[in-house]
Amino acid sequence: MISPVKIWRRQKDIRKILGKKGKIFLWTKIFTPGTGFKKYAPYPVVLVELENNEKVYGQLVDHEEKDLKIGKKLISVLRKVRTASVDGVIAYGIKFRPLK
Amino acid sequence: MNYITGYYTTKFGELWDKSLFDLVEEAINGVLKSTNLERKKIDAVFFGNMLAGVLGNNLHSTSKLSEILDVNIPVFRTEAACASGGTAFNLAKTYLDANSNKNVLVIGAEKMTDYSPEEVITALSAAASGEEQEAGLTFSGLYAMMANFYLEKYHYTEKNLAYVSVKNHYHGTLNDKAHFRRKISIDDVLESAYVSYPLKVLDSSPISDGASAIIMSNNLNFIKKQDYSASVLASEIATDTISLKSRKNIDEILATKIVSDKAFKMAKIKRSDINVAELHDCFSIAEILAMEDLGFWKKGEGGQKIMEESTTYGNGGNLIVNTSGGLKASGHPVGATGIKQIGEIFLQLTGQANNRQVKNAKYGLAHNVGGSGGTAVVTILSS
Amino acid sequence: MVGIVSYGFYVPKYRIRTEEIANVWGKNPEDVKKSLLITEKAIAGVDEDSLTMAFESASSALSDVKVDRNKIKVVLFGSETHPYAVNPASTILAEFLGIEKNYLAYDTEFACKAATGAIISAQALIKSSYSDYALISGSDKGMGKTHDTLEYTASSGSVSLLLGKDDLILELLDFESFSSDTPDFWRREGIRYPSHGGRFSGKPSYFYHIEESSKSLLKKTGLKPEDFAYGVFHMPNGKFPVQVAKSLGFSFGQIKDSLTVNYLGNSYTASALMGLTAVLEKAKTGDLIFMCSYGSGAGSDSFVLKVTKNLDKRRKQFLKTVENKKYINYPTYLKFMEMI
Repeated sequence: MISPVKIWRRQKDIRKILGKKGKIFLWTKIFTPGTGFKKYAPYPVVLVELENNEKVYGQLVDHEEKDLKIGKKLISVLRKVRTASVDGVIAYGIKFRPLK
Repeated sequence: MNYITGYYTTKFGELWDKSLFDLVEEAINGVLKSTNLERKKIDAVFFGNMLAGVLGNNLHSTSKLSEILDVNIPVFRTEAACASGGTAFNLAKTYLDANSNKNVLVIGAEKMTDYSPEEVITALSAAASGEEQEAGLTFSGLYAMMANFYLEKYHYTEKNLAYVSVKNHYHGTLNDKAHFRRKISIDDVLESAYVSYPLKVLDSSPISDGASAIIMSNNLNFIKKQDYSASVLASEIATDTISLKSRKNIDEILATKIVSDKAFKMAKIKRSDINVAELHDCFSIAEILAMEDLGFWKKGEGGQKIMEESTTYGNGGNLIVNTSGGLKASGHPVGATGIKQIGEIFLQLTGQANNRQVKNAKYGLAHNVGGSGGTAVVTILSS
Repeated sequence: MVGIVSYGFYVPKYRIRTEEIANVWGKNPEDVKKSLLITEKAIAGVDEDSLTMAFESASSALSDVKVDRNKIKVVLFGSETHPYAVNPASTILAEFLGIEKNYLAYDTEFACKAATGAIISAQALIKSSYSDYALISGSDKGMGKTHDTLEYTASSGSVSLLLGKDDLILELLDFESFSSDTPDFWRREGIRYPSHGGRFSGKPSYFYHIEESSKSLLKKTGLKPEDFAYGVFHMPNGKFPVQVAKSLGFSFGQIKDSLTVNYLGNSYTASALMGLTAVLEKAKTGDLIFMCSYGSGAGSDSFVLKVTKNLDKRRKQFLKTVENKKYINYPTYLKFMEMI
């Protein structure tokens, strides 16, 4: 079970980067995930440079394969970020969706 | 001056019958025998290990080693992800610099095959930042990001990376302690399944068990009696940000560049003096970056140069890289790797490398990296 | 006058076609489509849930009005697929939206009418001057047992409404609510999928409650079906809303724009509100809209809404937006719904 306190502490920071635009700086696609991410595999992970130059990591969602390139414009959205255990607190966090 | 006088490594691989400390015991017995040192004459022990706490719930290894050795001497454990072994060696050397006439035992060990691949992947990602872990980035994911960036910037393809794995697998066939002892081809690498795009199974070092141990000394009476010895010209460490996103440049490991300059300056030799090197090829891209960051190749030309195969054993090149098989073929029991690398250089410089002996090897270098480049250790030895 | 200040909607990107499901179970797709009048439905991704969808629709609702979020002192979250059995999603939603902390929040449940019931409670809190605004979200990642009718109809979606007393796009002229104890569709604690009483969810349930609630409101207001430009009824399938509209005296022309169920499925608590969203894309100043939701168990909330001139500046593009879609196959559907 992930610590509920850790999840709670993180949520304050998540709020600050929701709905922010940016572009892909680095990317990869994970085929062999660790525990907690198996349900989503394979999934792309991107390092996004936001408009304020801050860099944020997140998975890419609602995408086509061609969106996986350096420079692609994205926006941050709220999603579940890891499979909670059946009785654990749900971790919500940032993922990125391509902008048309 | 500090000298390495003995080295022993267990086989690396899936060693089902042996626990972590079974492997440690085997390495200790082996190295003490090879150098005729009694356990009571060891002055301090340095132990490099990353995952025993996370995976096995085993900490306080310092006390465990006291029990195994039946001694009451100082024992130190270091952890710097995959640079745990190299860091242990560096701490041992620092101890010898501060204390005269001492003999120290340096051990690196890891037990990884008792656990499922997911558990191990999750444990290894402890080497990454919290944010990287939360985004679902695995350790291979971080190197994959670096690979994508490098390949795009310098206009190379996955094929360039494959040359590293092919070379190291060939070297593995020459090393009886290697995890993998079969040759592979470029096509084999390109056809293997993706782990994290663009890195594939055959671009990636495996999950292995193993333990390696070294005896190092500054006790001249002891050293004089040894059949084999190599002097430690330099042992340096540098660190950098844990987060890949905070690095200044993505196509280099800055810690390697910094530590390389420090080590060569300390050793008072040039890059071109190095005959044999063990570099940290946790993924194929890592060896290419290492060759550039250590100063052997220019930045960006690695993808091209690796295809020339000049660092392959038997091709007559000036610098042979990863005769042990590297992490890729000899295996990567995380804590043991740093020690194995130094040990392999010791074997080369003392003429004990059998069918993979680099002729007239006088200077050798070992390069050990932690995480995606957060720690880098360089050790330079001479015969 | 209390009413709706702005609205937002979210329909996930993925769709599964009726024939994709029918072929797995050896049913004739054309028969299924004819009986339910649903060609495809919207499905949320594996990492989406009612909360993440509510965040999208609520963010949209708040995006085109300048509202001091400290004035939103009521946040109500209606769903039948709450992220937790015990733990309010309404506060998770509020916190992510930056609504801070002197507010009333609670989660509501009344099957598909969890959100519309909340509208009625919230408007009273505004009228009594407790709060200037209220945020209501209806959001569901609707579940249906495999090889069951619900498998073709239960879909994902969310609609959020910002209620207030100034700068309205829709005036809430009047409302009525009708309730009874009628177990036509239910889900026990700890059980994943809802169960239903088959044909029992028709005449004694859906039709009875909608008809009674609607007739009651029409009588109260003295209005007749022909006074309305649009009628919106809860959509468990494509047939029921058409039939109930007819029995109440509404024409097909009045309800056809609201029938989002045909191409999006039944998003449970967001269903009627999604129909309203579709209608708002076209409605003109002065139009009267009749909306009647239905929640199994059972009850029905009916509303008379009047379009103001402000709708023009806050109208949201609906049809074109939901055309941005991607079809998935049955195994992917099961994966997204975490059934495998």
